[in-house]
Amino acid sequence: MKQAVPILRWFSSLQLTVVLLALSIFLIFAGTWAQIDLGIWTVLSTYFRSWIVFIPLQIFLPREWNVPGAIPYPGGFLLGWLLFLNLVTAHAVRFKWQWKRAGLILIHAGLLLLIVGEFVTAISAEENRMTIVEGDTVNYAVDIRAVELAIVDRSDPDRDQVVVVPGSKLARHSVIRDPKLPFDIRVEAYHQNADLLEGVERAGGAVVADQGVAATRALSVRRLPPASGTDRDRSDFPAAVLTLEKNGTRLGTWIVSLFLTLTDVPPQPVTVDGRTVDITLRHKRVYKPYSMSLIDFRHDKYPGTETPMNYSSDVRLIDEAHGEDRQVRIYMNNPLRYRGETFYQSSFLEGDQGTVLQVVKNPGWLLPYLACAIGALGLTIHFGTRLSSFLRRGRA
Amino acid sequence: MSRPNPLLARLPHALLLLSLLYVASHLRPAGDGEYRMNGFGKLPVQDLGRIKPIDTLARTSLMVLSNRQTFWLAGDTGGADRKRLGRADKTPAIRWLLDVIARPSLARSYEVFRIDHPDVLALIGAPEDRKYFSINEIMANEDRLIAQFDQARNVDRNDWTPYQRQLMNLHNKLTLYFSLEDAERLRFVPAPDGDPDWLTLRTADAPARRTDRSIEYARSITAAFIAWRDQNPTQFNAAVQAASLGLEDVPPARRGRLTHEYQFNQVSPFILAMSLYVFTFLLAILSWLRFGTPLGRAALWILGLALVIHTAGLVSRIYIQGRPPVTNLYSSAIFVGWGAAVLGFILERLYRNGVGSATAAGLGFLTLLVAHNLSMDGDTMTMMQAVLDTNFWLATHVVVITLGYGATFLAGFLAIIYILRGVFTRGLDPAMQANFSRMIYGIIAFATLFSFVGTILGGIWADQSWGRFWGWDPKENGALLIVLWNALILHARWGGMVRHRGIAVLGVAGNIVTSWSWFGTNMLGVGLHAYGFIDSALLWMFIFVGTQLAIIAIGLTPPHKWRSHVARSPGAVAGGPLPVPSRQP
Repeated sequence: MKQAVPILRWFSSLQLTVVLLALSIFLIFAGTWAQIDLGIWTVLSTYFRSWIVFIPLQIFLPREWNVPGAIPYPGGFLLGWLLFLNLVTAHAVRFKWQWKRAGLILIHAGLLLLIVGEFVTAISAEENRMTIVEGDTVNYAVDIRAVELAIVDRSDPDRDQVVVVPGSKLARHSVIRDPKLPFDIRVEAYHQNADLLEGVERAGGAVVADQGVAATRALSVRRLPPASGTDRDRSDFPAAVLTLEKNGTRLGTWIVSLFLTLTDVPPQPVTVDGRTVDITLRHKRVYKPYSMSLIDFRHDKYPGTETPMNYSSDVRLIDEAHGEDRQVRIYMNNPLRYRGETFYQSSFLEGDQGTVLQVVKNPGWLLPYLACAIGALGLTIHFGTRLSSFLRRGRA
Repeated sequence: MSRPNPLLARLPHALLLLSLLYVASHLRPAGDGEYRMNGFGKLPVQDLGRIKPIDTLARTSLMVLSNRQTFWLAGDTGGADRKRLGRADKTPAIRWLLDVIARPSLARSYEVFRIDHPDVLALIGAPEDRKYFSINEIMANEDRLIAQFDQARNVDRNDWTPYQRQLMNLHNKLTLYFSLEDAERLRFVPAPDGDPDWLTLRTADAPARRTDRSIEYARSITAAFIAWRDQNPTQFNAAVQAASLGLEDVPPARRGRLTHEYQFNQVSPFILAMSLYVFTFLLAILSWLRFGTPLGRAALWILGLALVIHTAGLVSRIYIQGRPPVTNLYSSAIFVGWGAAVLGFILERLYRNGVGSATAAGLGFLTLLVAHNLSMDGDTMTMMQAVLDTNFWLATHVVVITLGYGATFLAGFLAIIYILRGVFTRGLDPAMQANFSRMIYGIIAFATLFSFVGTILGGIWADQSWGRFWGWDPKENGALLIVLWNALILHARWGGMVRHRGIAVLGVAGNIVTSWSWFGTNMLGVGLHAYGFIDSALLWMFIFVGTQLAIIAIGLTPPHKWRSHVARSPGAVAGGPLPVPSRQP
């Protein structure tokens, strides 16, 4: 290894390692404080899975002080890849490949794999939720961070015809036209989080919903700031005010809201060209090529307390394509892994009427295990030799 | 040096003997008086889902109310504040519990409710110079209290003001007290056939579950209460005797654990270890001033004794609970101190300079003090939430990562001694600097290994349980910060960016990182929402961080101002560079 290119030498330096570690420490520190106000997913995407982040000074201070300003700061992706580069160049330029360094090389290889694994997870992992009421069968999971407007035609007795418009599209476009849609959609308002007011006089200028549940209950929509905070039970309830038109003729204005859907208000009917379709704003569904029925959900508490002792779901898994029909038990710390997805016991419905399973799909799930195996081998070799010399020197 | 003084040579033996006598005096079981109080305390009760001796219920309940496990009694007046009672006897919690249940009107005059917040004190119209109150005094203001409780209950608990939190704290104390007073609802009676759901005195003869044995047992317990009410020792002792013989529904293994827990309560090994740690610490510090060899040896021996007792307490808890050593914040404090003290003990064996003993003892004492304060929340062996209930991961991930915390603290405390001795004394010569640096470096390497492996194991647990390896939540981030901080120190040293002084300063900062990861991440949810920082745990955390920052500032003073530096002859080392540590990792 003769004169390495200066830039490579700079990239391989231990000084850079220390600086990057220090920068990472502060990023993680800030990303933890930010979770007081922001939900974990927002923090993930702005701090840890981003190239650059603007860290508000406010997050480190009592909230009533109201300090403005933010500092631009390298995000998790940037720091992760710089550390990756630093480590790779260090081994290419600076380190000698010797047997006595085998342990160290393996540790670093494990670390590189961990960084890659987290990156793969960041860009490809999906987390959905499957809620099953006891006795029901379900063949989809929902993405609780996204909504969709579902337009369902139930005229065929065998099969519902469903067209969906993603919530993100409602947020971006003012008019949505598509040949698959039975009507054109004019988005009068779309809020990521909103509550519904009943029988309140609306501010002048706002479009009044004159159809569906909005008309019968005199509802209007009030915008709310996005829900957040370390309290994970709070979440956003998107809502939209939609005017539907067919060939330029106004059919009316509806309010659709996730809150209505989740509180079991039935989908609202729209009659167009003599047939009736239902519209509803619901969590985005991800359909599966198999289905699950909940046979039994159990939830035991320690005697005389409210402390949960265990939760478990007995589920029947039916996969016609694979010819599988079997019963599985999913319980705390014992998820079901099936078709590249992991189903774990996450929550349950009130009165133990049903189960809530988290469905995680992570193509990179094996990488951390590989990283750990390599790293563990390296640590054993490295610290085994270091410890013995430390003890020898201590005695000397 | 002249011939060693034979008296001095015997000093370690004498000091060890003294400590052994002290320990022995604590191991001696307390005798029964007229009443078979010990026998009653050993009987079981199922409380918060756990089967424990009634003695534990009494102690933890009194601890919640008054922050103490005993109270003072002078005739028929009692309380937690001795000064208000004149000549009073220190009385065990079990006697207080008996009075609460069987002589309620008397117990209602005992001043055992601790109230600190001035606004809550004002609410019950109490003078501010008193801390402990009887339930009679408190309930005299029942209407006002109920109105205030109702107001607080309408607010999300995360948004409570400090006043509201203290108020609801009082509410919880009252609820606890009334639940004890209503003894018919306590689960004193073992269920037949190993049913995990124990019976109360009221349900013991419920038609569906009654057996002759459970009815008989419930009668004995009731008889004991009646005898206590009537202050009839003969009948009380007979009832306790009958009850102890009627425990066939409790399996022998469980009975063994109950007896052990009772003895564990009596001995209070962690309190005992704390006093021995203080003694060790003082001896180690003295050894740097005079009589280095004998005092250093005595410190090491007594540290060993403290460790034996600390370990015995730890093992007892494992046996009683049937769980790995760390199951909650309280037990993590016990274990952090244990890990650090073991490592410090090993260091002392290697270097024999009093430094290992002093840091081990200091950390052992401080962590047990933290644990003691955490125990004021009640039973420290509560049942585990379902998600945490896996012995395999508790035994691996949690234990390893907690050892990592302990090692990081040990390195940080070594660094504190380095800085303080270097700046304020003349004792830190170049050889000792090198020794210190090596000790700190070695312990940080150990800490890196354990915190890293522990964090990785946590990731695997998370993936096994929830299908994700890493989620960036506060607790995970806290663990990762310790790994990265230790890695930063190691790399800074390998790169020659820090030497002896630098590694010490970074090591002290490691204390801040670790305390934040250990406690700070638990406080995030409550700390900063709607009000300022006024929670006692948070306050102590800030005080700790403040002291560490002060020590860092002291450590950053230029080397020529350090007294150790000035003490050395100019030119010898002062002008020259400090020895560069080996650059190889």
